[in-house]
Amino acid sequence: MRNYCFLIAFLLFAGDLAAHPMPGSVVKLSVLNREIRGVAFMPKIELENAIGRPVGNLNTPFFTRYFTSHIRAISGGKPWKTTIDKILVATTQDSTVGSYDEVEVHFLMMPPDSDNLRNFTFDYDVIIHQVVTHSAIVFVEQDWKNGVRDDLTTRPLGVIKLDVPTGKIFPLEVRLGEGSSWKGFMSMVSLGMEHIREGTDHLLFLLTLLLPATLLVKRKRWAGFWGVSHSLRHIVKIVTAFTIGHSITLIIGSTGIVHFPVKPIEILIAVSILVSAAHAFRPLFPGKELFIAAGFGLIHGMAFAESLVSLDLDAGSLALSILGFNLGIELMQLLIIVITIPWLIILSRNRTYKEVRVGGAIFAGIAAVAWIIERVSGSPNSISSALQAISGSAYGLLFFLAILALLSYFKKNSPEAD
Amino acid sequence: MIRSKLILAVVLLSGLLGSCKKDKSANSNTTGSTTYNPDPVEVTGCAIQTGISKVVCLSDAFKATLTSSQVATLQTAYSSANAKKWSNLPQALVQSSNKRVGLNFGSMTTTQIQYAKALIKAVAGAGADEGWDEQQQLLNADEYLGANGGSSEYGAANYYIALLGTPATTGTFEIMFGGHHDAFANTYKDGVLVGATPSFRGVEPFGTFTWNSKSNQPLQAEQAAFSAMLNGLTTAQLATAKLNATFSDILVGPQKDAAFPSTPSGIACSSLSASQKALVMAAIATYVGDVADAAPITAKYSNELDNTYISYSGTTGLVTQNDYVRIDGPSVWIEYNCQHGVILSGNHPHSVWRDKKTDYGSN
Repeated sequence: MRNYCFLIAFLLFAGDLAAHPMPGSVVKLSVLNREIRGVAFMPKIELENAIGRPVGNLNTPFFTRYFTSHIRAISGGKPWKTTIDKILVATTQDSTVGSYDEVEVHFLMMPPDSDNLRNFTFDYDVIIHQVVTHSAIVFVEQDWKNGVRDDLTTRPLGVIKLDVPTGKIFPLEVRLGEGSSWKGFMSMVSLGMEHIREGTDHLLFLLTLLLPATLLVKRKRWAGFWGVSHSLRHIVKIVTAFTIGHSITLIIGSTGIVHFPVKPIEILIAVSILVSAAHAFRPLFPGKELFIAAGFGLIHGMAFAESLVSLDLDAGSLALSILGFNLGIELMQLLIIVITIPWLIILSRNRTYKEVRVGGAIFAGIAAVAWIIERVSGSPNSISSALQAISGSAYGLLFFLAILALLSYFKKNSPEAD
Repeated sequence: MIRSKLILAVVLLSGLLGSCKKDKSANSNTTGSTTYNPDPVEVTGCAIQTGISKVVCLSDAFKATLTSSQVATLQTAYSSANAKKWSNLPQALVQSSNKRVGLNFGSMTTTQIQYAKALIKAVAGAGADEGWDEQQQLLNADEYLGANGGSSEYGAANYYIALLGTPATTGTFEIMFGGHHDAFANTYKDGVLVGATPSFRGVEPFGTFTWNSKSNQPLQAEQAAFSAMLNGLTTAQLATAKLNATFSDILVGPQKDAAFPSTPSGIACSSLSASQKALVMAAIATYVGDVADAAPITAKYSNELDNTYISYSGTTGLVTQNDYVRIDGPSVWIEYNCQHGVILSGNHPHSVWRDKKTDYGSN
């Protein structure tokens, strides 16, 4: 669970934390529809210092009462209702003290009046009420209306600690700002774009499917160039079919009506790449690419839905999120098609396109097999690790494609014929 | 391989330089020692000097052993921003904006380190297990840590010396020395020591250990003096002195400047007997005695003793985890805490001496 957020915490607040023998606590808040969800991370030993004994079993009424009474929110003079969801212990790492046991407390805070969700007094003094040398740094991890969707896009709200001169622990005044649906929507558009940009498997599926889209089929083999307008029309149809497919499952999945199991979907996505790689090698389903694209679109959409389900949004925000997220996906897809297809069209007019097509199909096929093995076995292999490493150099590949296309254009060889 | 050759070369070269300078090396212990932790030299040229003249003379002698780029790293214009860059952590673990300034022993030759140590020795107290002896023992402790589970981030090579301002009989300068578990800060103005704090002392291991052919027991005198001070109180006085809060560290560590409790806690020394007061002064002496010019500071703290409070948390033995003791006066602030070990198992102390009025020489 330790991640960049902690790095940021240390960069910003190391003055507060560095002097401590044990790291301070870290509290992450998520603004949901009607409540605030939070996780508090704290060194187990400091919790033991606070209660004056070893913690033993944490899932007892004592700890539920302890955390409920030390994690409080107040707004308009009214206390919120705090409930403790679960308490866990995990071993974690810190640069100063090395490995240590960390307690994770998952909680919910519900205001009496949900309109007041964004402005409240966070009266948190777990451990600190007793161990006055301890401190807690507070983050917003998720706030849809302000475009905050993980702890990388956030800054700490502040630090709760003893104010030495007064001897008091002042609560944190939380003012999240109203935010807007527009901010939330745009954040989802960029999430959708990120998802395609970083989702190497989605990208590879689409590109592999488009690899033979400019070619005619003759005697069950890929033959020559189909013509620019025909090719373009075909490409638009394939992409649209894929979009319709993944939109359907994205909507179904992100509403939470149906929960798709992650692992089989991830495996199926890898299979979809293998299938389109085989198709790029020899036409398996000529003329039926639309159905394949739509069918596998359904699978990819299930994976997209996973990113939205965890956000736990209300209906209005969810609808905007689905729309924004999908729009982001489409924009990124379109961008990739716009910068790739012209080169494919130029290349496919040429005999040498066969090498590009077969080479691409083999590459995608190997990648797909590596991913299938990785996702079935649950552990990365050398090929999937290598793919992870080179996924950042997609622009280099595109540049290579462009050079190849330009070379072939000026060589003016006769069209590909198998 | 290259590193060991380099060390050999440095040792040979420094031996050569040392003989040229005709300065007598003090009994150099080699057992368990490294190139970065030699004993200080007797700088004969400064032997007849006293007071501030001696400090300036030793600073100049030290600088004379350095290259011009080393001098530029060692000595910068006085800046309170740089003075505040001290820590109890090894340099590698200090957040970038607070990293110590100056020259680290790891970038110096053995001879250069010997001259640096001669300067610190002269401005530190002369008592056994206090002052310079304590500084050398803290270096030994970190060398011991480095050799017993600590990484290369530990050890004398990671200790820093800095001169903020040019040592002279007029003007302001600070001699800063520190590393893991140690911060020494003497600020001078027009030839007078105007601040000897913030001064951090901690040690791991906190048992007697042998290093450098020497028995080391830094901070045991501090722990014993605090414990004697608390155990000298009656049961009723102890109850008044006891704090309800738990301390897993000190309260006003590095970068927590000028933030002392506005109301003191614990028991006022005005209510103590003469012998109990003497125990408080004895505990204070284990910190004030770490500087050579201790007398005026001791006199000030003694004058303010009736308005000074002592308090504690945990047990009076001061060796158990979370044991804590504090001396809080109009000027003096000393706090000491026992916490669990990081590199070694077992507890170890962290402590800080601050002066509410003259931290950083009031700059």
